[in-house]
Amino acid sequence: MSSEPIERRVSYLGDRLRATRCQQCGKEYFEVRDYCSNCGRKSYGKMDSIDLLFDKGKLELATFINEPTNKFTKLGSYVYGIVSFHDGKIRVPARLTDQIQCNGDTVDPASLEGRDVIPRFRRRYSVAKSDVVPTISLAFTLADEYYPHQEYKVMKPTKEYELPGIVGYGAYSSRFRIKEEGLERAVPFIDEDAVTAAVEAGKLALIHSAIDSTWIGKVYAGSESNPYAVKPIASKVAQVLKLGEEDGDLQSVDAVDTEFACKAASSMFKDACALVSYPHSGIKYAMVIGTDNSQAAPRGCPGGELDMYVGFGGAAFIFGKQDVIAEVEAWYSCTSDTPDFWRRDGEPYPMHGGRFTGDPAYHKHVRKAASKLMERCNLKAGDINYFVPHQPNPSFPIRVAKDLGFKEHQFMPSMQMTKFGNTYSGASLIGLAAILDIAKPNERILVASYGSGAGSDAYLLHTTSQILDKRKHQKVTVKFQAENPFIEYVDYTTYRRLKSGM
Amino acid sequence: MHNSPAIVAVGRTKFGEHYGKEPEKLIEESWLAASNECSIERKDLQACYMSDCFLPITNKLGLEEGFLSELTELHVPMEVTRSFSAALQTACHAIQAGVYDTVLVGGIEKMTDRWDKIRDDLMLLDDPWSYFAGGTPESNHELMLRAYIKKHNITGQNLEKLSLALAQITVKNHANATKNKYAQFQRKISIEQVLAARKAEHKQLGLFDYAPISDGATTVVLTSAGAAKKRTDRPVQVLCNRSATDYLNYPARDDLSHFLAAQLAMKNACEAAKMTPSDFEVVEVYDQSTMMEMVSLEDLGFCEPGTAWRNVQESCQSGLNCYEVGDRKVYVNTNGGLKADGNPLGATGGAQIFEIFSQLRGEAGDRQVKSNDGLPQNGCVLEFEGFGTKAYVTILGGLNH
Repeated sequence: MSSEPIERRVSYLGDRLRATRCQQCGKEYFEVRDYCSNCGRKSYGKMDSIDLLFDKGKLELATFINEPTNKFTKLGSYVYGIVSFHDGKIRVPARLTDQIQCNGDTVDPASLEGRDVIPRFRRRYSVAKSDVVPTISLAFTLADEYYPHQEYKVMKPTKEYELPGIVGYGAYSSRFRIKEEGLERAVPFIDEDAVTAAVEAGKLALIHSAIDSTWIGKVYAGSESNPYAVKPIASKVAQVLKLGEEDGDLQSVDAVDTEFACKAASSMFKDACALVSYPHSGIKYAMVIGTDNSQAAPRGCPGGELDMYVGFGGAAFIFGKQDVIAEVEAWYSCTSDTPDFWRRDGEPYPMHGGRFTGDPAYHKHVRKAASKLMERCNLKAGDINYFVPHQPNPSFPIRVAKDLGFKEHQFMPSMQMTKFGNTYSGASLIGLAAILDIAKPNERILVASYGSGAGSDAYLLHTTSQILDKRKHQKVTVKFQAENPFIEYVDYTTYRRLKSGM
Repeated sequence: MHNSPAIVAVGRTKFGEHYGKEPEKLIEESWLAASNECSIERKDLQACYMSDCFLPITNKLGLEEGFLSELTELHVPMEVTRSFSAALQTACHAIQAGVYDTVLVGGIEKMTDRWDKIRDDLMLLDDPWSYFAGGTPESNHELMLRAYIKKHNITGQNLEKLSLALAQITVKNHANATKNKYAQFQRKISIEQVLAARKAEHKQLGLFDYAPISDGATTVVLTSAGAAKKRTDRPVQVLCNRSATDYLNYPARDDLSHFLAAQLAMKNACEAAKMTPSDFEVVEVYDQSTMMEMVSLEDLGFCEPGTAWRNVQESCQSGLNCYEVGDRKVYVNTNGGLKADGNPLGATGGAQIFEIFSQLRGEAGDRQVKSNDGLPQNGCVLEFEGFGTKAYVTILGGLNH
């Protein structure tokens, strides 16, 4: 059982690591305080609200926990300690996360003391499947490892564009991989899920865009592995990342989840573009996130064929009309009722139609959307610099790209499926992020997503000169995560265990 | 002086696992022991001050006062606090105010019934964020030890000596408990056992460094000095009790290497009693871990900050069962401490009072402390609630031998 009002308060403070600073004496407090304990009632109304989610802390003291309390047992052993922020002005209890083989032979907690750490948004502990999923950002990773600290610096927009487009983006995947038959696939740590990946991707997108999170008027989260059948991912993202103006403990933002197999997020690109273009919407920016802890039945079970391909991760894109890095020039979508892949309500794993998922499903829709869009825009494959198809396995996207007349140098750079696995709603988005990481100004990108059930969205993007300026904000590129020296490889059993989560 | 509080009798159960006994059986047992000692009837009691830390949670027992009323057929005022020292302090205040002259102070806890959940329950005593971040009842002890080592810059051979000193603390406490028939663990352990347990867990503190969970009950009959004469010719005076509080949130405290609440409670108690730490020969500290016993020796003023491990190590090395500080001997946790005597939270403080009471009256049997001029004159007790969140210091004495 969980107590929802308590859960609301704990996650409200703990997800964002909300803190308070006294304007008079400068004393800082973890949690929200109306007045300073030093200054008393004189300080009432003179307390600044700060938060630590984008901050960097220091691991002051560390010990090793091998016998956690009951709800934490799925985490196994971990390093636990005290993290300080702002030179010790705030100290919080902390769990180091992303450690699988954590025991006294591999980790000496004392040797970690003094290292810089950054807060990560994670699941807090295990609860019954019917309960609210508790989350917290009192989980930390070492800043000099897989996920470095990056400053979140807001900049005033300098340029208004005629067309709406991408103003910032971020792709997130975990530091764990499974490597089988030439494929590397991302594996979530046990405290990660589609929600935590959505938040981390959104955080990276904010850092890259350099826009104030309060300027975002709507957030869409597309996923097919939301831990809830009813309760949005987008509301969590909005609250943790403080999207829209804060009004008391509410965010002035619209948040909604979308579902259409793997195109749940890509479908909303055009809605985001339309929203920021509509003169009376009052919305300057909209965020679209595709995130999945892609499910698959264990091998040998019905649907278990997918288990060879599924990955973990997500990507977030912020759309707007100012300081755009890639304008959205045109789009085309097509849909048909094709039952090639589905998951019935209450079932943990999806089923698929075998060979039926190829020609009559994936290929037909992606080919149609991409070719129709090129035809409408009077473009040939040779006029396009990069092609980004949805990537459910290593062969489908290559075949469709070749069918459409693209050459390897046009489509291979977007092939991220072999590094992160099929990230479902995140798959074409991570591919697009990989291209935006390397594209030069004035280049054309054709994205064609695919969602089983079935449909495809094709977009034509045109990069601007600002793509180079903003690249400086983002260290955590797709390549950075794919080729990171701190990647840890796990075996099949560990992969299944981690994927099943807390 | 007529209203100054005095203890006329103490009683307790054995600490340990009492699977077969209801909580009320344990209360009864300790009450009978105390009431027999001073020939008191329950109808003589004007009020009851009880303590239990989380009996309502562990044993689904709601209003303990009503439960006790039913059990005893008493309808006198009763109050429940979370630690024995808190109950004793409240009772003392009532006696001092002249409201009552004869009251019962009792403590009870039954923890082993919830073996599988008790460590989660114990997190209720820490701040919730520590729990949410994945802390355990042991983790703050280990972090404080790290903080202590860093603050006092203890490295190399000194660090090994400190580690050995902590092992010697638990070995000493276990040895003391072999002479205490009420103790949970009446067996000796060796330094090697302590070190091996730490090594197996890859930790600086291991199984033998921590107090167990326990069932047990303790009772004290408290009267005014005037009323005490009717009950015994050798009452032990409660010379002073003082308490202090600190943040629930351990990581947010200014000094992570010491217990401010213990320092303040002791300072205030000594000032009020016009005593100094050198006046105490027998001391009961709250050793939920060996680290706590070491740090408390400093917080109570027996040793200089950052040096207690030296006193412990050198004293134990020369085979003493007490700590030599300067030219004085301090006997600490002669009953075996929380480590070996047991730690049924709400009753623990009662066992500490029981021990000092027995030592001052010369009734401690094999473990009786004798100073040069006979029996010890004064003793003090440190009890905590939570991880140093509340500290209570009680000074006992006033027996003229």
